[in-house]
Order: sequence, then C-alpha cells, then structure tokens
Amino acid sequence: MFGFGKTVNVKIDKDLHARIAKVADVAGYATTEEFVQHILEKEMLHFEDTKNDTDIRAKLKGLGYIS
Amino acid sequence: MPGFFSRLFKPDLGEPIIIVSGLPRSGTSMMMKMLDAAGVAIMTDAVRTADIDNPKGYYEYERVKDLEKEQDKSYIREGRGKALKVISWLLKDLPDENRYRIIFMRRDLSEVIASQNKMLKHRGEEDKSDDSLMIDAYMNHLASVRILSRKRDNFEMIEVRYDTAVKEPAEAARVVNAFLGGKFDEAKMREVVDGELYRNRKGVTT
Repeated sequence: MFGFGKTVNVKIDKDLHARIAKVADVAGYATTEEFVQHILEKEMLHFEDTKNDTDIRAKLKGLGYIS
Repeated sequence: MPGFFSRLFKPDLGEPIIIVSGLPRSGTSMMMKMLDAAGVAIMTDAVRTADIDNPKGYYEYERVKDLEKEQDKSYIREGRGKALKVISWLLKDLPDENRYRIIFMRRDLSEVIASQNKMLKHRGEEDKSDDSLMIDAYMNHLASVRILSRKRDNFEMIEVRYDTAVKEPAEAARVVNAFLGGKFDEAKMREVVDGELYRNRKGVTT
C-alpha cells in the first residue's frame, strides 16, 4: 500500500524490462523503477521544454508564421 | 466526485472552432481549401495572398501570428463554427475559453524541411539551420503537440497525412467530414485536392 495513489503500473515488453534492469544495476541505481523514472523524466523535459527551441522559432519567423 | 462536478458546471464554450494545424508546408492550406469548398466558414483576412509557394492562397488570419505575445486573445472566439489556420507551434497559445476540433496535417519531415527551405529562399531569408537537427527538433515538437492535445480538455484532434490526402482525397474527405460531424460536402472537399501541388516529394525536389 506504500505510495498508494502516487504511482501507477505501466506494462512494458519483458525483454526490454530485462535490459533496463541490467543497465540500472550496472549504473548503480537502487531499483529498476528509480532508473526508469529518471530516464522518463529526462525525456519528458525534452518534450515539454519547447520554449527554448530557438531553431524552430527562427525558422518559423523566417517563413512568416510567427511574429 | 470532482469529475462529475466539473462536468456539471462546465461553462458553455459554444460551437467548436475548427483548427487546421501542422508544421508550415505540411498541407494546411490544402486542408483549408478543402474545408472552404465543402462549405465550412473560414476565418481569414486574406492579408497573405497567393504566391509561388502557395499558388492557391494561404487562408491565414494575420493576427494569429502574435498568439504567443498577445494578452488579449478574445478575437479567437470569432472563429466559433469556423475554420482557422494555426500552425502547430502556436496551438499551446490558444485560449481556454473555446473548444477546438483540430485537423493536424502530417507530412514526411524531410519533405517539410525541403519545402520550407525553398520558401525561405523565395522570401530572401537567411537560413543557418541544419536539416538533420531540424528533423530532430520537429520530431520532439510533434510529440509535445500530441501530449498537449491529450492534456487539454477542450482539444479534440485527428491527424491527416498529406501524401494520403493527395493520393486518396475521397478517403481524406470522409475522415475529415466524419470528424466534423458529417454535415459538409465531401464531394466538393475532395474535388479541390490538386496533386500537382505536391512538389517536394521525398527524393524528388522540383
């Protein structure tokens, strides 16, 4: 019951899980979950932090689609 | 029960605004033309007129370009029941006070970039961007748009591939019309698709 309401289960391919577990162990993470959470957070920042995407902004401005 | 109460007291956001979106050069003007032909009212000021890059016109509303900067976005409400073109970058800036049915145009990214580069050249704009880095940036951007469309309760979105729409206009018209409630003229929608305008194809740059 620990952390009830704060975590969810996500199903992933068994082979992929085995690979992740191996890397998590080698990389020194306490648990596979900790490793997965870390890489997902990093990836999410990638998608959510669009405001600094200067290349896209410059291109759209040059094309006349943003001011 | 918050879901129940929020649904119960949901403000009336009126008729949805049909948003035609996507990256520039992904077929948004073609989709606007299809909607126009089918009888959808279009929100445009026709400031940007047809040119070599868009011989059939842009169907744009100039003020939308300022969506990121402008505080007063109440004019968007005028688009209720109409179609408005908003490029993918600006979807995040649409105000919450409306419902949006978004037709999101997709096209092979190398074709998009080839076509954008050509347009930049026609406009006399300098372009220092690296094409492969732009593909990565656009891929991330498109993923963030999908996340956004799921997060925003007032967004409903379908994706339409440009190449499929050109090859199978009848199917594209059927899908789009169904998404919009089936009340528009599908035959007219498909008739205006002009395959001749599909110029920057993968591996074929004209």
